[in-house]
Amino acid sequence: MKTKSVVFLLVVCFSCGPEDASPDDPVTDVFDAKNATLIKTGDFLGIGHDASGTATIYESAGIRTVVLDPYRSQNGPDLKVYLSKSDDATEYINLGQLKSTIGKQSYTVPASVKVSEYPYVLIWCEQFSVLFARAKMK
Amino acid sequence: MWRSLLLVFIVQSAVAQSELNAGVAFGKTQGTLSLAYVHNWFAGEKHNLVIGLGGRFTGYVGRNQYYVTAPAKLTSNGTGPLVIFKENITANMDTLLVAKPNVYAFNAMINLGYRFSEKFMMGFNIDLVGISFGGDRRGNYINGAQGKMTNSAVTTFNALLVSDNDLGSLNSELYGRYMINKRWAVRGGPQFLFTEYTTDSNVQQYPEPNDRFRKKSLMFMIGTSFNL
Repeated sequence: MKTKSVVFLLVVCFSCGPEDASPDDPVTDVFDAKNATLIKTGDFLGIGHDASGTATIYESAGIRTVVLDPYRSQNGPDLKVYLSKSDDATEYINLGQLKSTIGKQSYTVPASVKVSEYPYVLIWCEQFSVLFARAKMK
Repeated sequence: MWRSLLLVFIVQSAVAQSELNAGVAFGKTQGTLSLAYVHNWFAGEKHNLVIGLGGRFTGYVGRNQYYVTAPAKLTSNGTGPLVIFKENITANMDTLLVAKPNVYAFNAMINLGYRFSEKFMMGFNIDLVGISFGGDRRGNYINGAQGKMTNSAVTTFNALLVSDNDLGSLNSELYGRYMINKRWAVRGGPQFLFTEYTTDSNVQQYPEPNDRFRKKSLMFMIGTSFNL
């Protein structure tokens, strides 16, 4: 009984809590693509995880925006959206926490970033340094 | 001055005792194993003041730990002893995320304590100087929205200075100790551990180049002690 209690306590101490998961309620960000200029686009490929969808970079009124539409992926902890110079986040710009594992979502690119130097959009689990999905932008 | 005081303390002490300590400390995603040899001298009328010197091995493992800018010059905008009272300058603090940190340290240590009774004592010990080693790690250097992967190695030399002036990996414990018989005791209390990685280049450039990143871990330690 004592052994079971100790094992139970250890499991509780070292397990990931529910706060580790990313949001999974569907999101629908408003972005008017018709009045924006398409710069680059690419389809997501899941890397060891289920993921699908399209990433597109638009420019409107001098503001660049990465739009994931549609988007769906497996859940994971601390998922972030990266603009990356390589396919494995060797050098990147963090656009923010993934808003949801499903739905249309937009992320503003900092004004100082030269988008042409970043040919990939990645869905990256920062806490565990794991690549979930990548889209090569063309 | 300090050497003289220590000498007087030792000469006036009639009793000395060596001990071996073993302990584990743990947090949610990190833990340590520590083994120490300490030679203690006892002073005071009732021999209830304790001062000891010894050596300690600390092995640290963690998972996905965030190391931050280490040098006091950056964290506190100064290197004097008063940095201990200064708040960290957030704008100067960058992060190195290490997926599987693994640090081993051998350090000389000092032990201070007070015996409340034959059985119960409270004490504090801290590493002074030593060396560290461990496998090289690829870390995620994070500077605001920008980041890049970089190679890093455990900082080799350890030295206790003041606060963020410290170098390398240093362990310390505030503990209570209860003798369960003449030789064996149980120990427990908070453990405060610094571990440090050095990146293979100055990945941090603002406000000045830096390659040292530190993790401060507060964990709970439990262990045993054996009087030799």
